Amino acid sequence: MKKIIALLLTCVMVLGLLAGCGGGKTTTETKAAPAATTPAAGDVTEAPAEAAPDTIVIMAPPVTGNYLENLKTWAADFHELHPNLTVEIIETSWGDHNDKMSTMAQAGEAPDIAEISSNALGTYVEMGVAIDIAQYLDADRLADYDANALKYLSLEGTVYGLPLYLTIQSIGANKTMMQELGIDVAKIQKEGWTYEEFLDVIKTGTKDGCYGFVFANSGVTASDMLYMFGAGAGLSNTFTSDLKYTFTSENMLTLLSAVEEMTQSGYMPNYGVEAGQRMVMCQTGNAMIFGKAMPLFEANFKKNNAALAANDGTAVENSLPMDYAFLPVPTMLGCEESCYGTVDGLIAMRNKNTTDEHLKNVLLFMDYICSGERIAACMNELYLDPVCQTGRDALVLEEGRDADNLATAARCIAMVQAPPEGVTAEMTSTAKKLMDEQIVPKFQLLLAGETTAQEVYDHICEAAYAAFGEENCVSGKLG
Amino acid sequence: MATTGLYSQHLHNKKVLYLRNTVIAIVLTILAAATLFPICYMILSAFGPNVSTAGNMRTILPSRFTLESFDAFFHFSDYSLRWILNSFVVAAGVVIGNVIFASMAGYAFAKIRFKGSTVLFGLILVAMMIPYQVTQVPLYILMVQKFSMTNTYAAMILPGLCTAYNIFLCKQFFSGLPTPLIESAKIEGCNQFQIFIKIILPLAKTVLAVMAINTFMSSWNDFFWPFLVTNDPSMYTIQVGLKQFKFANETLFAPMMAGATISALPMFIMFFALQKYFMEGVTIGAVKG
Amino acid sequence: MNSTKLKRQQVHHKLRFTNEDLWGYIFIAAAMIIFCVFTLYPVFSAIYTSFFNYKPFGSEFVGLQNYIDTLKYSKFNLFYKAALNTVIYTVVVVPLSLLLSFCIAVMILPFKKKTQSVFKAMYYLPGIASGVALSVVWLWLYDSSPDGIFNRLLGLFGIPAQNWLSSTKTSMLSLIIMALLSSHGVRIITYIAALLGIDNSYFEAAELDGATFFQKVRFIVWPLVKPTTLFLLVTGVIGSFQVFMNAYMMTGGGPDNSTTMIGLLIYNNAFVYGKYGLACAQAILLAIAIAIMSLFQFKLMGVDVEY
Repeated sequence: MKKIIALLLTCVMVLGLLAGCGGGKTTTETKAAPAATTPAAGDVTEAPAEAAPDTIVIMAPPVTGNYLENLKTWAADFHELHPNLTVEIIETSWGDHNDKMSTMAQAGEAPDIAEISSNALGTYVEMGVAIDIAQYLDADRLADYDANALKYLSLEGTVYGLPLYLTIQSIGANKTMMQELGIDVAKIQKEGWTYEEFLDVIKTGTKDGCYGFVFANSGVTASDMLYMFGAGAGLSNTFTSDLKYTFTSENMLTLLSAVEEMTQSGYMPNYGVEAGQRMVMCQTGNAMIFGKAMPLFEANFKKNNAALAANDGTAVENSLPMDYAFLPVPTMLGCEESCYGTVDGLIAMRNKNTTDEHLKNVLLFMDYICSGERIAACMNELYLDPVCQTGRDALVLEEGRDADNLATAARCIAMVQAPPEGVTAEMTSTAKKLMDEQIVPKFQLLLAGETTAQEVYDHICEAAYAAFGEENCVSGKLG
Repeated sequence: MATTGLYSQHLHNKKVLYLRNTVIAIVLTILAAATLFPICYMILSAFGPNVSTAGNMRTILPSRFTLESFDAFFHFSDYSLRWILNSFVVAAGVVIGNVIFASMAGYAFAKIRFKGSTVLFGLILVAMMIPYQVTQVPLYILMVQKFSMTNTYAAMILPGLCTAYNIFLCKQFFSGLPTPLIESAKIEGCNQFQIFIKIILPLAKTVLAVMAINTFMSSWNDFFWPFLVTNDPSMYTIQVGLKQFKFANETLFAPMMAGATISALPMFIMFFALQKYFMEGVTIGAVKG
Repeated sequence: MNSTKLKRQQVHHKLRFTNEDLWGYIFIAAAMIIFCVFTLYPVFSAIYTSFFNYKPFGSEFVGLQNYIDTLKYSKFNLFYKAALNTVIYTVVVVPLSLLLSFCIAVMILPFKKKTQSVFKAMYYLPGIASGVALSVVWLWLYDSSPDGIFNRLLGLFGIPAQNWLSSTKTSMLSLIIMALLSSHGVRIITYIAALLGIDNSYFEAAELDGATFFQKVRFIVWPLVKPTTLFLLVTGVIGSFQVFMNAYMMTGGGPDNSTTMIGLLIYNNAFVYGKYGLACAQAILLAIAIAIMSLFQFKLMGVDVEY
């Protein structure tokens, strides 16, 4: 009896040891693997890939309502074009995509293709799992994509992915109400406006039970307000073209003072507003202008108007029929008009079975779904313009789009300034951490009326100097 | 007989007895109402119209009552029902594992004096103290790379098969049982296994029921781990499936709440199925006698 | 001479496994195998990783750098602020919710079985609400506009509207209230199980001595449910130190980082900034802090209560 037990015990220990050793082995193995950014360039010329069967794994959240369904169709179409290539789709949910992607990447099991927002790119480049795609994709195919959009997915001149879309963040409005108040909406849409004009408009819009302006600024969404109004204050990018940190410039102080003025003006709520509330407040007549807003919201307003007309109970409660206007960001300090944009795209990622041959296949599929009628279908759902030529050629606009909004969106997209070249992954991740841990919390304090613009500005400068060094930060006015 | 002995049973005045119980009942109801609020909201929204966003959240009652959200939930995916089944398989596996293994280990740590028990138990406690955010990467490597278990029930069940929390719970419960009871059984010639089966388990019904229901609930509600190890929609658990109702700019709110309501049902059934075990207190005296 | 002989005997005794030892090992064998593979291995792996600048393809050994980076004091190092927030949250939430659960469990007892089961269900039910539903409801309760539920409630008492989650004055308080009003089902049910395990003869004896209700609670019930209290306290503190979901869903850190918790910091480092090695180091430091706290609790509450 005792012998059996002793045997059992040894088994337990051996198992424990095995588990321990297994862990040791992984780390040594991974150390031996080549670094991600230096794939052997000589291996690119090899036997044609047509014959070898290969599986491509793509992971994506529902970028649009129909995206994942469409993706299945495209994967099947692609398989017909290239019978040796099979596509496997991992569907993720919107809020948890990054958590899963990050865990898989750190485990060395990243999918071949993953959806990513441009501001998260630095993290994966630093991790060593992002792949320089230019060498696996034909140059003329790469040239199909707008250089501006590609810059968002590049660091230090290396392109890591292909753009799905460039989205702009600005403000939207109850057009019906603005016109009733005699405000020239079309002129604002066509020519832009200054911060002073904007202040006048929201003053006019503020009445009993209705704010002239509302911005979803509670929690982490506060950063949206900073970025969005920042674009109008000359702070389109975190770094200047000579790679200096911009948020320490005088423009920042102007921006913060403007926000302080708005919060205390009574023309916008002086309390935190949830993201889900902003559009509802506009639709129920509790706010005239709201942010952040995208061109896409036109669809929500139209749907709501239809629901109100049909009276089928699916309309937003207490909402009124109204038209939606997409507005440009007001400018401050006489800065040139601009708009804040981000790019969502697909990047290629390194995992345990990544080879050059495999990467060529991966890029073949990535290019396939980022271009042509595939991307055009997505953009019709998102009310955005494709960022590649083949996409634009394939785009057949849906009926009934508001011409003024369409023109404004196009004008805003043209104003978006891509990040400068030469920014390193380290710089972007330091800037991201600075933003999340220092700037946004202090900015929230300002929104709560518990500090002054000057204090926030001083804190930002001090924190930025500590992070980048004073010589790498802009002082004085930008531009 | 339940432990009502704490409260005086010999109140001469019936009125005082009723008054006391009424006051307690009112306090309990008020406290319960505060915690019940979210679930009421969830259920009421589920019966509301199939609206996309939370809309104007300032009303509790939906504008009208309808079952269309449930319909939308079941038609959202071919696998909607399968998700519930998957959740059930995973939760059941985890519960069975914990009831068997954690109770045995808990008993050993509480009542068997063996070498190294303190150290091993300490180790179990310490392991609990490392936040899961950092342990799930190595666990993922283990399950996916080494065991190739993606999209399997095993991948979802194994890591939770015997949790430190439950071992600790059992140990605490068993350490409250009288040691003389075990000693006398030993003298009568029972070995530890017989003692465990014949004496301890009948006494442990309460704690095992509590453990089963709590484990079932946490396994049922677990989202992130099943999300990590499943790529195939047919293997999702209900919690993973429910997250699919959220998109970038809109949430299919009412169907999501309908799904949450449906997913809460099995837990409710589980509760009533097991509750008779923790209704009856265990009277050690009766066993002893 | 005699003493060395005795010592040798002791050593010999120590090396030999007794029958009791072997039974112990049999009973824990299955649990330990599962534990070693699925819990201990990841834990050791995390400890190992904490000495690296972790990258999936080519980590570099950095020694104690991750620990130094975590602990190095600077005005911009959030670790200390997060630690303080976590301690405040724990110190308020854990004892209060334990007390609340204990009181509710005791209060459920005098009723007939049917009534008891209704109350148990009422307290157990909130736990089955999905996390999504919960966060939506709480965000709605904490709506900072004058029409928000809590603000209207305050208005009844003539208190001005609060900027709940968006102000440093109320953000931590909001999270604490949320924790105290959320489900206590697990704790209550565990307590009830312990209460029902108390032998009635204790109360009968006390009754004969003319003990009041509160004396019975104080001198019989409280000491006898100590193992359960200790269990709930230790696991409660562990859970509270690792708390992350509420800060993540409700505030994301909040104004001036007033609700940034260690759990949130670790999460951000591991999943948002890709600094997995640093996250591991922070997790280990957190575990050490919890271990010290737990040791303190074991000492305070006594290791075991024997009949």
